[in-house]
Amino acid sequence: MSDFKFPEGKEVPRGAVLPAPVKENRMMITGNWRTDRPVIDHEKCTLCLNCFIYCPDACWHLDEEEEKMVWNADFCKGCLICAVECPAFALTAVNELEFEDGVVRLEKPF
Amino acid sequence: MAKEMFLAGCAASAFGAKFARVEVISSYPIRPYTGVMMELSKIVANGELDAEFVHGEGEHAQVSIAYGASAAGARAYTGSSGVGVAYAMECYSPAAGGRYPIQMIIADRALDPPGDFGSEHTDVMGCRDQGWIMGWAETPQEAFDNTLIYYRIGEDPKIMLPQFCCQDGYFVSHIPGKVVLPEQSQVDEFLPPYDPPDPLDPTNPTSHGPQVYPDQGSAIDIQRAQAHLDVPKVTEQVMDDFSRIFGRTYNPFVEEYMTDDADFVFFIQGAHARTARFAVNHLRKKGVKAGMVKLRFVRPFPTEVVKECLSKFKAVGCVETSTSYGGAMKGGNLIHEVRASLYDSPKQPLVTSFMAGLGGEVVTLNEFYNMAKVLSQAIKDKKIKKYVYWLGFEKEGI
Ligand code: SF4
Ligand code: SF4
Repeated sequence: MSDFKFPEGKEVPRGAVLPAPVKENRMMITGNWRTDRPVIDHEKCTLCLNCFIYCPDACWHLDEEEEKMVWNADFCKGCLICAVECPAFALTAVNELEFEDGVVRLEKPF
Repeated sequence: MAKEMFLAGCAASAFGAKFARVEVISSYPIRPYTGVMMELSKIVANGELDAEFVHGEGEHAQVSIAYGASAAGARAYTGSSGVGVAYAMECYSPAAGGRYPIQMIIADRALDPPGDFGSEHTDVMGCRDQGWIMGWAETPQEAFDNTLIYYRIGEDPKIMLPQFCCQDGYFVSHIPGKVVLPEQSQVDEFLPPYDPPDPLDPTNPTSHGPQVYPDQGSAIDIQRAQAHLDVPKVTEQVMDDFSRIFGRTYNPFVEEYMTDDADFVFFIQGAHARTARFAVNHLRKKGVKAGMVKLRFVRPFPTEVVKECLSKFKAVGCVETSTSYGGAMKGGNLIHEVRASLYDSPKQPLVTSFMAGLGGEVVTLNEFYNMAKVLSQAIKDKKIKKYVYWLGFEKEGI
């Protein structure tokens, strides 16, 4: 019927229906919106999982083997809800400028 | 055996949904469409239709429910009128972009000029650029038939688009007419169960409505535009099947009435076409060569058909039941489509528009005679004076 051909690399699945990402959507990295990032002090962390529960982007998870919280930089927007909700004061906000791989140094900041 | 019933447009649409075996219905009341859901809720409560009947907390929720149901693979049905149609506006583009063949019955009602319940096409015409298939029924029979026809087109694997299945509020929705109801087996042959290509399924999870990058947005828009290009071909096949199975034939895109030797025609959609036919009969008796062309789909607009059809006449009067304030033609919506369709035609009829029946006013026979006067005069003068005439408010006493 329609003879329209998408140029290579421009195709999208019909209606943008995709196989569900099992863990995270690698097509849409949003961590580069941050100005500050939450930095964890593992010494203070009690593994209460508050940060895991409160993070709107599911950026914290518990590494059961290592017994420590792991942060996912690709989706953390730097809202710092986790830092506010951490009862052990284990999370502090550090400006992205402080990091070698800070989002301010990315080629495509957003 | 097929049986005949006397049904108003709302009830006819409800019966259409029943025969279409819709699986999820989402409702929220607003007149004049409410009768559809009243009838359907009775049908479901009586066990005559096995469907989930869900009440939304507003029209936005109502269309969202239909969206979710369609994503899960159900044949979803909803509807509204007037300001309710406008309130759900946000949901229309993603439903078409995500390619969910939801059907939404619209019994048209004015979009409040301070406060108005009258019939007028402005409600859903304001949503005509969201990628939905869209057209009008003139009678309860057509309302019933369109329910089946629109699902068949919308669910075609090449199309996969939602549909605004419209009828004029009150003039069709509340006025009973004879409706021939088919056998369920005939409908089952015409409209097989919906076969969703990527239903939500926990064993094979898919992501619907994901966030996309801007350049992917245009690619999705192209897909939707392409689907609209495919609709006419599919519609022709669907109409062939329809007449074969039900023995009733519609021209897929426009219906011509007394056009063989007509000098001018009324170009019209919806309920007022009935009055137009009477007017044409009367004008013919007086020796005036009038005709009528009734439009069956506004989206996708049948450009080629309209161009070929209308270029035969000396003058065309678009009978408008919706406005486009400040638009290029200063008047209704139909004249924009008609003049655009005729632009590259070697034969150019004179085209003007008549604002008629806004706010729910009845378009009387007399007004059709006045339109005929304007068109006859334009033919004599070989030009039209104005792009738009507001019937009943014109100084020249048309
Ligand atoms: S800063 Fe916000 S987004 Fe980032 S991990 Fe904490 S709660 Fe999540
Ligand atoms: S909220 Fe604080 S203490 Fe609790 S797990 Fe997260 S970092 Fe550790």
